[in-house]
Amino acid sequence: MFDTEREIKDTKIHLCLDCGKCTVVCPVAQYEPEFTPRLIAQRRLRRDSSRPHDDTIWSCLNCYMCVERCNYHVKFPEFIQILRAEAFSEGVQPQCSHGGALQSLMHLMSLEELKQDRMGWLPQDIELSEPCDTIFFIGCAPYFDIIFGDLGVNTLAGIKGALRLLNRAQIPFTVLDNERCCGRDLLLQGDREGFLALARANMEEFARHGIKKIITNCPEGHYTLKVEYPAILGNAGIEVMHLTEVIAPLLQSGEMSLGRIEKTATYHDPCTLGRCSRIFDQPRQILGGLTGLEFVEMEESREKSLCCGASPWVNCGAVNREIQKQRLAQAEATGAEILVTTCPKCQIHLKCAQKRSDGKAPQIEIQDLAELAARALD
Amino acid sequence: MSKQAPNIVIFACNWDGLSCVEAASQAGYCYPASVKVVRVSCLSRIHQGLILKAFELGADGVILLGCEPGNCHFDIDAGLVTHEYENTRSILNLLGLGEERLVIAHLAHGDGYGFMKQVTGFITEVEQMQPAIPVKA
Repeated sequence: MFDTEREIKDTKIHLCLDCGKCTVVCPVAQYEPEFTPRLIAQRRLRRDSSRPHDDTIWSCLNCYMCVERCNYHVKFPEFIQILRAEAFSEGVQPQCSHGGALQSLMHLMSLEELKQDRMGWLPQDIELSEPCDTIFFIGCAPYFDIIFGDLGVNTLAGIKGALRLLNRAQIPFTVLDNERCCGRDLLLQGDREGFLALARANMEEFARHGIKKIITNCPEGHYTLKVEYPAILGNAGIEVMHLTEVIAPLLQSGEMSLGRIEKTATYHDPCTLGRCSRIFDQPRQILGGLTGLEFVEMEESREKSLCCGASPWVNCGAVNREIQKQRLAQAEATGAEILVTTCPKCQIHLKCAQKRSDGKAPQIEIQDLAELAARALD
Repeated sequence: MSKQAPNIVIFACNWDGLSCVEAASQAGYCYPASVKVVRVSCLSRIHQGLILKAFELGADGVILLGCEPGNCHFDIDAGLVTHEYENTRSILNLLGLGEERLVIAHLAHGDGYGFMKQVTGFITEVEQMQPAIPVKA
């Protein structure tokens, strides 16, 4: 299923000009001088025997900033994923953050015949259409809110907001009570077997329910279901849309409207939604649909948006913390009261920086876009 | 052929918890070989990752075995582990495996009989749990 050399060729890494522009824009390289994308590429392509395992590969955030800047759009993050898969298959594993809880959780979620009980949070007022070939893919929010509850994380608020927005838009949908994690974090850290187990379990679930369309609020889930699943498991003909792609056109056409929120807000583009999926305008259009909301852009936004310092739950350390503090400082500098994002992982990582930096990180309120927009529903 | 005993992992604190395991051995009590004892310096060393890893590796149930309240060697008592214990039970519920698969026990120093009772009782409970932990896909 995986042909490493072919995959390496597909990343266009051989086109690397050794110009170093990737290093200049890389948020990790700012704080970790040893992390240099072009040197990682050289070491692998020359099969540097003095360094059988390159431990710097675990520092990449997969933020795609380097791809944005590269003249040849060399897919360095995908190259890193291949190197990680190689290392993983040789038994080399990264330092798992949170004691490996997320990794174990993902592996447990891939158990056959698993019957999860994960819908207890679903509000009574949400109208589900049964039967329906459109689903809202919830993602790992119910688990995140338990694991990161001590950070004040409430990613389910974003999910509830998303469901209310879909109800208001009169878009019929249902939810699957046994969906699994999309597996992106396992894929990013090189655990392809683990990823495949989750992907197959999800695809079987979708096929069993005759799913034709998936709407999700999670950028990682969106990209994985839309791009990675078809690439690895073949195209099942399922349309995958991010919530903002569904709601924004309705606001633009006047078919749906939002109420008033008297706040100043800025928007943090999640790397996966922005640079990977090229969804930059729709979230801003939703914010623009909120009457009374003053929207201010951060110094680095859209294609140049700084990563939240997230990683696939590995190797999280001082470098990530500095990036998170830098992003929070950029948000604070806009004068905004709310930092809006659409990614639960961004929310978790930025709130972690706020909570665990001894008060040195700006304490701007962080909210999911769907949660904020749903607050403005009458 | 007799039914296979469930896989039980016991995270035992190095102090009172482990002394109960040793006392049970010295008293000649027998328990199934599928019960694995992992010694930790204190139950506060335990976090969600370790417990979930045990389940990922095939445990049917996990016991956290620590000192009685007020008797912690490090004067931490159950403060840290309680948070991890409760979070992990919530996760087990979401997974549909059931929170009953994780229990916490505080036994007095050298209580071998209490340990035996705890283990055999837990094995019986785990055996009755439905569904059993499913096999890996």
